[in-house]
Amino acid sequence: MAKSGLANRLYRGEAGLDIVGRRKVWFTVAGVLVLLAILSFALRGFSLGIEFSGGNSFQVPASVGTLEQTEDKVRDALAGPGGGAELVTAQEVGGPSGDFYELRTSTLDAGESEAVKLALAEDFGLNPDQISANQVSEAWGSQVTSRALLGLVIFVALVTLYLILRFEWRMAAAAVASLFLNLIITAGIYSAVGFEVTPSTVIGFLTILGFALYDVVVVFDKVQENTRGITASNNQTYGEAANLAVNQSLMRSLNTSVVALLPVGGLLFIGAGLLGAGTLKDLGLVLFVGMAVAFLTSISLATPLLVLLKNQEPRIQAHNKRILARRGAIARGEVTPKGTPKAATEGDEPVDPEQAALAGVAPKVGARPAGKRPTGARGGRPAGGGGSRPGGKRR
Amino acid sequence: MAPPQGQMRPGRQLAVLGVIFVVLYLLVFFAGGASGGWKDRLEPKLGLDLVGGTRLTLEATNTIDGRPPSAESLEEARRIIENRVNGLGVAEAEVVTEGNRNIVISLPGENRDLTEVGTAAELRFRKVLKVTDGSGATATPPSATPAPSGSPAPSGSPAASPSASARATASPSAGGQGGGAPAPSATPAPSASASAAPAPSASAEPVPQGIEEQRKAVEQKVGAAAWQAANGLQAPADVSADPTLAERLKPFGTLTPREIAVLPANMQFNVPTITCEQLDDRPAGSINDEKQQAVACETGAKYLLDVAKVLGTDVDDANPALDQTGQWVVSLNFTGDGQSKWTALTREAFNNEGQACDASALGQDGKCRVAVVLDNNVISSPEIQGVLTGDSQITGSFNNRTATELSSQLRYGALPVTFEPQEQQNVSATLGESHLRAGLLAAGIGMALVIIYAFFYYRLLGSVIFLSLVLSALLVFGALVYLGRQIGFTLTLAGIAGMIVSLGVAADSFVIYFERLKDEIREGRSPRSAVPRAWVRARRTIISANAITILSAVVLYIVSVGAVKGFAFALGLATVLDLVVVFLFRHPIMTMFARTRAFLSPRVSGLGRVLPAKGTEQASTRNPRAKEA
Repeated sequence: MAKSGLANRLYRGEAGLDIVGRRKVWFTVAGVLVLLAILSFALRGFSLGIEFSGGNSFQVPASVGTLEQTEDKVRDALAGPGGGAELVTAQEVGGPSGDFYELRTSTLDAGESEAVKLALAEDFGLNPDQISANQVSEAWGSQVTSRALLGLVIFVALVTLYLILRFEWRMAAAAVASLFLNLIITAGIYSAVGFEVTPSTVIGFLTILGFALYDVVVVFDKVQENTRGITASNNQTYGEAANLAVNQSLMRSLNTSVVALLPVGGLLFIGAGLLGAGTLKDLGLVLFVGMAVAFLTSISLATPLLVLLKNQEPRIQAHNKRILARRGAIARGEVTPKGTPKAATEGDEPVDPEQAALAGVAPKVGARPAGKRPTGARGGRPAGGGGSRPGGKRR
Repeated sequence: MAPPQGQMRPGRQLAVLGVIFVVLYLLVFFAGGASGGWKDRLEPKLGLDLVGGTRLTLEATNTIDGRPPSAESLEEARRIIENRVNGLGVAEAEVVTEGNRNIVISLPGENRDLTEVGTAAELRFRKVLKVTDGSGATATPPSATPAPSGSPAPSGSPAASPSASARATASPSAGGQGGGAPAPSATPAPSASASAAPAPSASAEPVPQGIEEQRKAVEQKVGAAAWQAANGLQAPADVSADPTLAERLKPFGTLTPREIAVLPANMQFNVPTITCEQLDDRPAGSINDEKQQAVACETGAKYLLDVAKVLGTDVDDANPALDQTGQWVVSLNFTGDGQSKWTALTREAFNNEGQACDASALGQDGKCRVAVVLDNNVISSPEIQGVLTGDSQITGSFNNRTATELSSQLRYGALPVTFEPQEQQNVSATLGESHLRAGLLAAGIGMALVIIYAFFYYRLLGSVIFLSLVLSALLVFGALVYLGRQIGFTLTLAGIAGMIVSLGVAADSFVIYFERLKDEIREGRSPRSAVPRAWVRARRTIISANAITILSAVVLYIVSVGAVKGFAFALGLATVLDLVVVFLFRHPIMTMFARTRAFLSPRVSGLGRVLPAKGTEQASTRNPRAKEA
């Protein structure tokens, strides 16, 4: 394997990517995506499946042949007079008064429905009376949808409370905001591409909900760990510590996403590739898109958002100022204490004090554990300043 | 080796896991309705889309005049039925309206009895005004009935006016009619002409035209003489005193229940040839109009019932309960508004305001009785012993099952439309076996990919992932089978997909743990000491992250209905079982693993690469002073 390629550095949690520092880029990208998504909602809307919009059903006596033959003929009939309506489900119904096939289609108006019925009667050589046609209401009532939405609202409220208790309100706000961004962007992709919305899609959405937050919580857990007692140290601004946390958990996030996306990919491959349509494809699709977006937002949005909020806090503000001032003094007076910038210089960030400082500190990512080592088995906390902290506070 | 402080004993935790497995699979094989061969006992319940099921069509029969119900009330009924059906368990039923008067219910599993689901549960509380015998032609009026056939005015001669006071809309014209007939629709028109009949009733309550026509048809069927005789009755006819009357009224005995239903209430009550049998078989919804008096039977006695002053919709909650005497009762909580109505009704009954209740209808203590009427049947008609300001109970000859059944019917609210069940049918799966196979194949592929990745990335540690995924899968499967039997949890294709997704999430807790382990080793710890430390930290992260998933599952399970509920259940189940495996399998196994020599070789555990990739130094993992980068 590469000795110090990106992959290797990633593997060791030392990628040193400057993610937090480039937050303006991320926010701009996210803003544009959200705008596009909202535009898409407004202009294109969603294409709803029969479960939401209702449809028609035709009942044909089972004596006409096998279910597959019947399905084919119904598809033909729909293509003609049905004006592009689709066959949604077909099933065999057996009862005391004889067996029949029931075929549900997307919505037809009265004329089209009659035309399809006549076409079918002709195809099967039946009397039109033997085929019955009906309007069918949506099976997935508005109630199911509205209850699912209610569930979402309650969940967000509770989870915010939980995150406030577990972390703090700024983290909760950042996590929930990135969750919403995630949902909006995923829905936007759905709307823009014109994927059909079915109950499976809604269920997939609800799954992403948990998954997106899960990812963010793992990252924030690391951030919290890294920034514990940060104001007592002299080495990092909050942004730098958070960036370090993101880098350290980058491999974890990547692994998690790969591991989660693999089965979903299998689902999608089977659903779309082998079966053509249906529940598996819908679910696979929404999960694939949602999880991929969740991975990206948890890395590139949640933490930068958190840093943005944190930097408003007076305590952190003062701390950052102090660090930058100290660093400025070092830069003016002596040589930079450790290493030279390497990883984080690839960006094209504007020269602003914090950015510069961030770039300067990036190699510490790699240096830190090494410095830590001599402290041996006791000071296991990766939090705070690593080796260059004299350790007065802890011991 | 003596475990350090806080050190776990891996053997103990593995033993707990073993016990969980044994108990679960004992339950799977032997508990709660397990039957058939070994293989049958291992079958989870599959959903409608995968195995098909039973379908029942309900046809709205609400309106006797034959018009279909409004689209809104049909939709409302659909929603209530959906709630009711899904109240039977975590099964994912499909309920749709079809055409303008049908509701189609499909439930997974063949030969389910769905008749209960569609039966209307229209609850009414009505004062019992009069009682007579309902057993048929040889009517001997109950001893309490003081009304000889000749006297038009039974003891309750002032009855008309109190009933007028009780209901504002009552037509005062009833007052002139010798008392026995408090109902406006009951106004015994002196001339038997049918045209007279609608007039009084219309003054209070417009009767749909359709009913009038049907009444006319019945009139023709029984003949003018019988109709006239019936119309002239002021009180239950004492046929033993007047055999000719019995002869004249005989045609009523041949009417179908449906025809009986269109007759005015007092005619149903007064004509002795109309039996309880006929009354009980009236189509559902025959007496659901709360503004009309009604006739219904309880154990062979025919009751004339007052207008309904408290309705099923006034009931907030209903639960089965055991009263002090050990009898099953249904206890009722009323809504705020319903409570005041109920208090008013019991006060009225307790005081027998305006002597509205006939002496024949009074209870032992001389108080009015209030009948609890469900659809066409009187469930119980207790005497009101006091003015009730709080919760109440319906007593009757209930057992555990019937009390539970009635309370769930009441709880899910009154249907705005009444239905008649049509024939029950079996439906095939909509997706069928090919999809089920594809879903399982996808699960297999997903699992294989995850395992390959795990081996590739974590080397020997991949086997720990592999084993825990297998254990998770076995636990989930066992729970599925058991819960399918116990609470009717059915697995749909979406549920299978949910399980596939949870595969990834389950594997993720490993990633968190192992990455932590790498962090620790990178910081210079030996793998042996890194394991417990990494565990402590990873545990925190895993718990907080999984707590969120569980939270979302619980919220969705409580709030939502139908497919979402089933999905939430599956998600929550998979997550909790994942935690069980994390705590009781992975942690102990890793602890044991860390004590072996093989684990210390980075080549085996896949952890060595954390250190600078220099072959000769790999062995020095245990050296805390590993080379600095």
